[in-house]
Amino acid sequence: MANKSSRRDFVKRSAALAAGAFVLPQILPSSVFGRGGRIVPSDRIVIGSIGTGSQGMSNMRDFLKLTNAVQFVAVCDVDALRLAKAKETVDLANKNSDCRTYGDYREFLEKEKLDAVSIALPDHWHGIIYTEAVNKKLNVYGEKPICRTIKDGQTIVSAVKKNNIIWQTGSWQRSLPNFHHGAELAINGRVGKLKYIEVGLPDGNKGIGTPPVKDVPPELNWEMWLGPALKVPYRGVSHWDWRWILDYSGGQLTDWAGHHIDIANWGAGLEYTGPVEISGKGVYPTEGIYNVPVEYDFLCKYANGIEMRVANASRLPLGMGTTWHGDLGWVHVDRGNVISASDPKILDEVIGENEIQLYKSENHWQNFIDCVRSGKQAIAPIEPAFRAISVALLGEIAMTTGQTIVWDPEKMEIAGNTRASRLLSHPYRQPWTLPTV
Amino acid sequence: MMKKQYLLLIAAGLITFISACKNETAYKTLIITGQNNHNWKASSPVLKQILDATKLFTSEIMITPEKGGDMKTFNPDFSKYKLVVLDYNGDSWSDKTNAAFLEYVKNGGGVVVYHAADNSFPEWKEYNRIIGLGGWGNRNEKDGPYVYYKNNQLVTDTSAGPGGTHGKRREFLVKTRITDHPITKGLPSRWMHGNDELYSLLRGPAENMQVLATAFADSTAGGGTMRDEPMLMVINYEKGRIFHTAMGHADEDGGPAMQCVGFIATLQRGAEWAVTGDVTQPVPNDFPSVAGVVLRPGYTEISLEEVFLKIESYDIAKSTKYLSYLQSYIRNLAGDEKGLLDLEKMMVKVLSGDKATVDAKKLLLRELSWMGSDYSVPAIKNLVQDAELKDEAEYALARLQK
Repeated sequence: MANKSSRRDFVKRSAALAAGAFVLPQILPSSVFGRGGRIVPSDRIVIGSIGTGSQGMSNMRDFLKLTNAVQFVAVCDVDALRLAKAKETVDLANKNSDCRTYGDYREFLEKEKLDAVSIALPDHWHGIIYTEAVNKKLNVYGEKPICRTIKDGQTIVSAVKKNNIIWQTGSWQRSLPNFHHGAELAINGRVGKLKYIEVGLPDGNKGIGTPPVKDVPPELNWEMWLGPALKVPYRGVSHWDWRWILDYSGGQLTDWAGHHIDIANWGAGLEYTGPVEISGKGVYPTEGIYNVPVEYDFLCKYANGIEMRVANASRLPLGMGTTWHGDLGWVHVDRGNVISASDPKILDEVIGENEIQLYKSENHWQNFIDCVRSGKQAIAPIEPAFRAISVALLGEIAMTTGQTIVWDPEKMEIAGNTRASRLLSHPYRQPWTLPTV
Repeated sequence: MMKKQYLLLIAAGLITFISACKNETAYKTLIITGQNNHNWKASSPVLKQILDATKLFTSEIMITPEKGGDMKTFNPDFSKYKLVVLDYNGDSWSDKTNAAFLEYVKNGGGVVVYHAADNSFPEWKEYNRIIGLGGWGNRNEKDGPYVYYKNNQLVTDTSAGPGGTHGKRREFLVKTRITDHPITKGLPSRWMHGNDELYSLLRGPAENMQVLATAFADSTAGGGTMRDEPMLMVINYEKGRIFHTAMGHADEDGGPAMQCVGFIATLQRGAEWAVTGDVTQPVPNDFPSVAGVVLRPGYTEISLEEVFLKIESYDIAKSTKYLSYLQSYIRNLAGDEKGLLDLEKMMVKVLSGDKATVDAKKLLLRELSWMGSDYSVPAIKNLVQDAELKDEAEYALARLQK
């Protein structure tokens, strides 16, 4: 691990070298990047991707746009066709054919010498791969939700803290001005004392029944795709639509928790704590392979008296997005640069110098790269990401058990409910285990 | 000995008394049918079955004279009933019967307006105030506004045009618009309805009316208005409460529009509300969602016994509905330790037996992993030896033995 010292150390070292008037060429051929590239003074962050599906590719394209800031060198996926496409994309951007490919993340992590890794995988893989990447002292751009279970999340958070790496969650709404402004108005009391928050997330989908068992396509390593999840026959549902199956995801609720719940917490000062009581109801499909709740509606109570209702958009008056209600009014934010308020004048309020200034970023991917270089915390660090998904996961547990869940956000334990407590983790299928930190 | 027999006798007497009471307290219901452009011979017995299944109602079907017959002979004593269900679209009733019906509603009698009954009596003004909205029979702007949702806003539209249309029959999504009404409280906000006519362009007085649910009339099936058309409505007419369902077009045996659990449960709930102003029935375990249509071919809810009978031959490729029902049943047992243990014992019995399929056992193991107790552990340990069930058994034990 010693040779994998962080980019920050390198930056400090090169600064020292520069101070010593020891001049090195500023432009080097790309071939020297990657393996051992870090000893050469370059501004570029050497990065690779694990998971090259739709979100992985989307992130990759956003990183590739930062032409002079990153050097993409390797990609990893369990689908050979996607992997080939990812390599093609990287090579096209790099104008060479050097991008290395891996079908097994363990080999990727073992062989590649990177500054950072961008990871976008089905949620059931997050516990293992995030923790292993962080244990290798890699800086991580990790997709939300950061975990499928509370236990997975606790492990990842500990790993990030212990290894002191830069973590950026793919909660990119934080880097958009309307969400930033709404959150700043809320946290600075422009709607009065915060009482109640409403979070609307997408409605569920129509089912597909249960498709017949199919031959696994030759490009797909199905065993590796399943990994720690229970073994099931391949029915043509893997990429993208894994999100509608509880073994891999909690559905729209957990997918979007890292956006609108994260924003809600940001503007309410709740991003380093959690609710103390959660209760609610879900509507589950009655037929077919998709089994995530298609409707959900639960209420979280916080120790400071704030309440947060999370529901699918059709159940809420303002639909999608986050609405902070204070005793003087409300502010609502949503995608599409939406920001509205009970009184439009609230939106013109300027946040003063002595008030709470929330972290400002204009480009989520650039912010990560900048922080890897500077050693500064990124705009979407690990613990707020964990706290955002925890709300959804606790809601999921309340809906599964049909009970009111009493949660200790400090100890991260459910009080007096054995059944609910069991749902804090998904046991892993052998031989997979959650790595130790 | 004598004493014990005596007690038993008293007990038996009590049970008879209680069940007699129950019958007597059920709301007497009159289903009026006999003329309809729809298949009333199929629909009316189904309506009776659906209502009586709640044990809240005892209904009787009254058949009017045939079309062109002597309507004077149709002269029900409405005062005997708590609920009148209208499955009638035909000749005018006698003035006397009309007056008696209005008197019944004004005095607080409950009414259910079912599907084509909103086509009936276009000229009878008070009837149209009772049903709120109607269609066909030359209804147009003179009869009242169109009422619908557009861009999630309730619209009362007085523009000129005919009342009543529908495209080709299809399954469609019903959206709950008022979620805190006793009839809709606890229901999904969106659910798929069985193959039905999607009534559109209904118009009428719409006084004291709330639209509880709508469906979007898209253009794919023809006749699409591109509006969210009212499907479930409640109307207050003096002291009377009226529940109006525009759904449930009947086929020979009722068919999917009537077998749809959404139709059945909203009818049952709407009928209770019409009588009492409240709903005491729980939302059934098999109520549909946006995920898909749920039908009850025999119109009755699956029983837990049936679930366990079917779960033994559970084949995921055919259906998951018995498992979904069991999961819903478990959620509804929350906090009931005895109920959960009883259920766990039934589940363990299936696990330990040799009748159930591997799929069935796998799914039971997943449920037991969180809702089970020490009771399950020995049976699950036995399954660790089973190559096909090893992973699921270990999964369950990892949680249960923590």
